Amino acid sequence: MAAPCRKMASRSYSQLLCCFSRTAVGSGACRRFSVTPIDRATPRASTAADRATSPWSLMAAVCLQRLPVITADCSPIEQRFKQMLQQMELEKSMLSDHELRLMEDAERMSRRQADDYDSDEDLGDQEIMMTQDLEDTWEQRLKNFQPAPRVRADVDEDLTSVQRCLTDSLVLLAEQQVGAEKLWLLPQAAWQEGETLRRTAERALDSMTAGVRATFLGNAPCGVYKYKLPKAARTESSVGVKVFFFKAILVDGTPGSAPTAPLLWLKKSELQKYLKPAYMMNVGRFILNL
Amino acid sequence: MNHIFRKLQVTFPQQASILNQSLCRATPSIQHPVWCTAAMNERQYRDMPTHGIGRWRHLLLKQAPKKKKDRNQQKELVSATDTAYGTLNVTVSGYDMTVVEHYSQYIHNFCNRLNIKVADSYALPTKSTEVLLMQEQGNKTYVDAVLKTHQRVIQLSSLNASLCPVFMDVILKNQPEGVQLSVQEHTEADYQARFKARPELEGLVAQINQ
Repeated sequence: MAAPCRKMASRSYSQLLCCFSRTAVGSGACRRFSVTPIDRATPRASTAADRATSPWSLMAAVCLQRLPVITADCSPIEQRFKQMLQQMELEKSMLSDHELRLMEDAERMSRRQADDYDSDEDLGDQEIMMTQDLEDTWEQRLKNFQPAPRVRADVDEDLTSVQRCLTDSLVLLAEQQVGAEKLWLLPQAAWQEGETLRRTAERALDSMTAGVRATFLGNAPCGVYKYKLPKAARTESSVGVKVFFFKAILVDGTPGSAPTAPLLWLKKSELQKYLKPAYMMNVGRFILNL
Repeated sequence: MNHIFRKLQVTFPQQASILNQSLCRATPSIQHPVWCTAAMNERQYRDMPTHGIGRWRHLLLKQAPKKKKDRNQQKELVSATDTAYGTLNVTVSGYDMTVVEHYSQYIHNFCNRLNIKVADSYALPTKSTEVLLMQEQGNKTYVDAVLKTHQRVIQLSSLNASLCPVFMDVILKNQPEGVQLSVQEHTEADYQARFKARPELEGLVAQINQ
């Protein structure tokens, strides 16, 4: 109890300048981010007297999320409401410049076609491009534009692809060796002396995935999970492990050419199949399903 | 019983005033206080025990009158501590004004709900961008569209470091498309950039300094 709290209090403090942008078609499947850390104060070295010996060993894990790239589809009721609102706005709206010009042109044409047309009446220059022709050219350009498909079923099936399920946010899971067995967990690493827990989480991410750029959302952990070691492995000095979770947002798409551990990108609803129940209950509390 | 005596006492000054009328115009009798009700049959006298029983404005503390220019004074810059960020500017910008405004309102309401103190919330001037396209036949460019970039800023006075990841996560997940979000520290330069340049003042200052 004593050691972890004190460690968090003396952790180094750094400011973040985060710039997040969301464009319809980004360079990858991700939003563009820029982070500029302003201040990175050096951590105060804790003396041996500070650290009381605690039987819990510390680990830090990273909850890396890929945010949704496109908007989710509207439910049927939302679609109907949206249509109704659009209809109402259309009926309440005023005519735009373009529509007024169309009407003027039509009126001028009809005046010219009339029997008692007097060419002196027609003041002003004749427009080279009629407004209707303009509209036709725009329609043509719209038809030539092919947007990318929103949902690609084959990519959605592939759990390791970061481009799957563009409408949902995905969480990264890695298979790690814990004790005797291999488990699917959020990437974690053991805490070492003299580094902050957030630095540990960054190290965990770098070791599991090479070349992934992520923005950590803050120095404070968003969750904690503690488990006791099985009775056989328990000793005087190590009763169990406490894992602190840190949230991060994915900046750059690909997790690198050769990840060291098998990785999965999963939605919150799919996490249950891969995580142990107690772990899932803890982790599910801070993963938002927005 | 008492009120009969009071009435008797009251009549004496009246008689006295009638006597004095020839000599001088008596001041209007003070039986009717100025603030009493208009209805004549509901006169409250000053010595009525419940006189002024409903008065409450005199109990409030005296407030200095608010001047209009106080509203736009610069709020103090909060500096960062070990557990909280200082004054932060959350800037929301985009082409669609309704979306940008609704998103900034959402962030403001969200801060209120999480008890994050919002120091200020203002709009920066709209920037217009003209999109010029080259014509297919010929070298002339023509104006294709005018895009207006709207910006809204929400200034948070201090953000607790433990609350920051939660806050950022939620506003990122709710970010609409076509809207850019930026979270930065507030600086003096940001504040000064909002003011218009005053060329004649700068000219005079330059003249003085010469």
